[in-house]
Parts: sequence; C-alpha cells; structure tokens
Amino acid sequence: MIALGIVALATLAANGSRQLRYSAFALLGVSLAANAVSAGQLTMWELAVEGCGALVAFGVLYVAARDRTYGEDPGWRLWVATVVAAAATAACFATLRTASSELVTVPLIGEDPSGVTAQVAAFWLISSGIAILVTARTPVRGSLGALLMVTGVELLVRLLNVPQLGLTLLLAWIQAVIGLAGAFLIVNERVVREA
Amino acid sequence: MIIAAAPLILAAAAGFAFAFRKRLNVVGPFSLMSIVAAFTLVSAMPADLTGALLDLELRVTDLGRLASLVILATLFLLVIDVWLDEPAYNFFPTALAVGATALGVLVVTAPLAIFGLLVLGLLVPVGSFTFQVQRNRSVDAASRHFSFVALGGCLGLSALALSASLPHEQPANTFVLLVVVLVVAFALLLAAIPFHTHAALLASEVPAAALALYFGVLVPTTFIAFAEILTLSGLLPAIVQVVKVQDLLHGIGLVSAVGGAFLASGAPDLRRLVVYSVISNLGAALVGMATLSGPGIIGALASVIVTGTSASGQLLAAGTLERRSGPDRPTARHAPMAALAFVVGGFAMIGAPPLLGFPGRFFMELIAYQFAPLTGAALVVATLLLIVGQLRAVVALFGAGLERWTIESRPVAGVIGAVIFIALLIGGIQPAGFLRPIASFAEEFLKALRPL
Repeated sequence: MIALGIVALATLAANGSRQLRYSAFALLGVSLAANAVSAGQLTMWELAVEGCGALVAFGVLYVAARDRTYGEDPGWRLWVATVVAAAATAACFATLRTASSELVTVPLIGEDPSGVTAQVAAFWLISSGIAILVTARTPVRGSLGALLMVTGVELLVRLLNVPQLGLTLLLAWIQAVIGLAGAFLIVNERVVREA
Repeated sequence: MIIAAAPLILAAAAGFAFAFRKRLNVVGPFSLMSIVAAFTLVSAMPADLTGALLDLELRVTDLGRLASLVILATLFLLVIDVWLDEPAYNFFPTALAVGATALGVLVVTAPLAIFGLLVLGLLVPVGSFTFQVQRNRSVDAASRHFSFVALGGCLGLSALALSASLPHEQPANTFVLLVVVLVVAFALLLAAIPFHTHAALLASEVPAAALALYFGVLVPTTFIAFAEILTLSGLLPAIVQVVKVQDLLHGIGLVSAVGGAFLASGAPDLRRLVVYSVISNLGAALVGMATLSGPGIIGALASVIVTGTSASGQLLAAGTLERRSGPDRPTARHAPMAALAFVVGGFAMIGAPPLLGFPGRFFMELIAYQFAPLTGAALVVATLLLIVGQLRAVVALFGAGLERWTIESRPVAGVIGAVIFIALLIGGIQPAGFLRPIASFAEEFLKALRPL
C-alpha cells in the first residue's frame, strides 16, 4: 500500500514538474515503486532487466535535458491530467478488474498476493500517461506520458500467469526505445525552438 | 533458435550499421548483405518449424514466411535506393532494425510479444523521419507519430494483458470492451483513419525513403499482426457473438476506404496520393477482414501485402521526381524512368489485372457485395476514386509531353519500379503460389473464430 502511495505521488511529481530533469527523477521513482508493488511476481533477473530499462530511460532523458531549466510547464494540464486519471482509474478498476474477487487484504508493507495494489497502480499509471500524452504540447510531456504508460503495462503483464522473462525483456526494450526516441525528439525540438 | 536467426542477424546488423552509419560505402553494402543473409535463412526454413527463444514460443507459418520474404525484398530495394540515390545515414540502422522486428512479429506466437515487437518496430523510424529540422516540420511529424504509436501501443498491450488475465466467467461486455480497445489501438497504429493528422503530416514532411519504410514495410506488418493477434488471443469468438464489434471494424474500414480514396482523388502532390491510396486500401482490407469469411481474409491480406510493395515503389519514384525537379512541379521531363515507375506502381495500387493486386481486390469486393450490397458498392466507388487520383497523377507527370526521351543519369527509382512491376506481373499470372500461404492462414483464422 505504501508503494502504491509512492507511485501516485511520484506520478504527480513527474506530471507537475516544469523541468525535464526533475520529471526524469520522478519517473525513476515511479519505476522503483512499481517494482516494489509487484516484486513478488518476478525473479531477481526479471526485476534487474526492468530496472535497466527504467535506468536507460531516466539516463537519456536526463542527458537530453542538457540543463536544469529545460522542460515544459504543464499549467492547467496538470489538473486535467490528474482529475481524468483519478476518474479513469476508478472506472477501469470497476469494469476491468481481473484480480481475485474473493475477500482481499491489502497489507501496508510487503507483498500483495491478490494483485489488487498492482492493478490499481497499473490503471493509475496508464490513465495518467494517456491524459499527459494527449494534452502534451512538446515531446517533453509526450515522452513522460509514454513512459508512465509503459510502466503501467509492465505491472499488468506481471499479473499474468505465464513465463515472464521474454515479455519482461521486450517491455524493458520498449521502455528504453521510448526513452531514446523521446530524447531524440526533445533534442531536435529544442534545436528548432532555439533557431 | 534457428527460427530466430534471421531477425537476430538483422538486429545485430542494425547495431553495427548504427556504429558505422556515417560511412555510406561501408554501411550500404553491409546492410544489403545482411538482408540477403536473412532472406536466405527465411527461404531455407521449412513451414511449421517450431522452437523457443527465452520463454517465447516461435513458429514458422506459411503466411509468416511469405510476408517475411516480401518484406526483406522490399527492404533490399529501399536500401539500394538510399545507398545509391538518396544518401541518409540514419536510414540503414533503422531499416535493419525495422526488418528485425517485422520478422520477429511474424515468427512469435504469443499475442503480447507480437504486439510488443510491433510497437518497437513502429518506434524505431522516428530517427529517420527527422531531417533538416530547421527547414521543415519533420520534428512535428515524428513527434505525432511517436505519440500515436505510444498511445496505441500501450492501449493494445494493456487490452491484451487484461484479456489474458480475465477469468472466463466475466460478462461478455468486458471482452467486447477489450476488443474495442484493441481495434482502436490498431487504428491508431495503422493510420487507418483517413483524417489521421499525422499521416498527412508525415506524407509532406519526412524523407521519401523513410515514408516508404513506414508505408511499405511497417503498415503491412501491422495489419498482418492484427490478424494474427485476433487469431491467437482467443478474442475472435467474442467478436462473432457481439455484432457491434464487427460493425465497428466495418465502420472504420468503410470510412478509411472511401475517405482515403476521396482524399487521394484530389491529392495535391504525388506523396499524398500514395499515402491516401494506402489508407484507402487498408480500409478496404479492414472491411474484408470484418466479413469474417475466408475470401475476405485472403483478399485483405493479399491486398495489404501488394499495397505495401507498390507504395514503396511509388514513394521512391515520387522522392526521385521531387529531387530532380527542384522547386518546380515534378514532371516526367525531369526523370522519365521514375515517372514511369510511379505510373506502373499506380496500376498495382488500384488492383488492376493482370497484376498481383487484382485477386485480393476482387475477393474483397466480391465478398463485400455478398455481405451487404451497400458495402460492396462503397468499395467499388473507392476503387474508382483511386483510379481518378492515379490518372490525375499521370496527366500531371506526362501532360506537358516529353520533348526528348532522355533517361536520367542514375535511374535507381525507375529500375526499382520496373523490378517491382515485373514481380507483381509474374505473381499476377501465377497467383496460386502467393495466395496459398494466405489461404492456410485464413483457415486458422476461421478455426479460431468458431472453436470446437
């Protein structure tokens, strides 16, 4: 439950930040907390692979920012994204919940075998990501939204009862490539803006 | 492991090509050799061969092998064009990486893995879409493409993950909702909606070769992946039970087919004509698939594969014509071979007999009439509008006449267009070899539709 709270707060921090570097740090926090939410479902290797994907994405966004001040002011988009994400998370959980429908207990610290926490975190991240991506003006917030969504997808995939290594590796690659493509666009967009 | 050899070779080659991307005389031939090696491996692989990589199951299907060979041949032609005629060093690693992911999509059997590889493949071209960023809006076009792919990709992956984890006692509406999300995700990825702003922006702002890579290789791969995912995910029975999903597919398909053809008929330039024609053909293919019938599926897949190949030829020709014309309007006077290649590519695009595009279009329109006369009529109207658009291009290119027939100094796009035309002509005369693998996939699709 605490990890879920950290995911929510880190998402808000990433969403509300005006500086890309702070958003990148917040994204790393989201990823670490998301790993903590569902650490029991993956082996150490699989966690390491996903961690690498998140680190690469963080690293390239951090470097792409070039200085502390560069970023996109979310303005009113912060509130729209937050309200939409909160409403969509509740709606998704009500309609698409796949976690066990039996009585569940959600521990404050430690594993949640029912998967409810992971699913709530996944829906929150995906809806936040969509809201941020759809309202983004530049690749800065576009990349941020896309990376939040991928982190949410990773959580959903972990709930599947199938071998995970191949899928984990694939999702880590997607995360890294989104980070790279986003950074490439950020750098080019800055060139255009400063020309 | 042997099944994954071809995509792995291309992936490794993409890494090497990235390291040496600025040495065109090294990276060009190297990329061609890698593609030839992958082509040889795929051709030598027997159908129904199975294997595993990590914990992902792999399988060589007839359709997968056919599509892989067509994609590799198209990539080969694109790389030749960029190496000899339109140097762009970002293109080589991008093309090889796209080839690796496309081949991966065609051998992996898990729907989530197919979709994940597809998203990777669609993200990679962002690097080759941007060029001379201060003179055009290519960054804007690439950003929109990036957003659409990220949005569609994550929505599709989420829908597949949820559908795989839903208990079977869920109400049918939940499955229907997930299928709708999946269809919308593919519509975002495919640019299958004609008023898709990023397709129009891509058409006007990005290099012709990168555009050909997207519309010639990635779009057909995405469509095939859509059909495969529907077959393998177990969602097809839900589509049959609830007519609304079938109607949604029909709706998107018809809007794309007619809307795309309408825009193509009045397209202001050659590139947009090709892009809108592809969108129209994709829409017609969606209609074919939405009929959930054997001929519809065969027609849809055959049409999409041929559309990809002919779009590549036409886009390369359009790029050459634009470069040779400079600030003037492109005409055959500047590059007659490329103009000719554009025109013959148009024949394939409209599905004219005896080219290979004809059987697919014939099947689709026939089955659409049987499904609903209005749908069939709409597809015929779409074809007529495409013919109008292509004829307008012929008039624009050759209308002023040719004072003297001088072949351009390096007619790369013209030769590539001729090669594609001859291949489509041979395929059209002997269509069985092309249609049989697609028919075997259609059989699997129909079995998945009504499981015993």
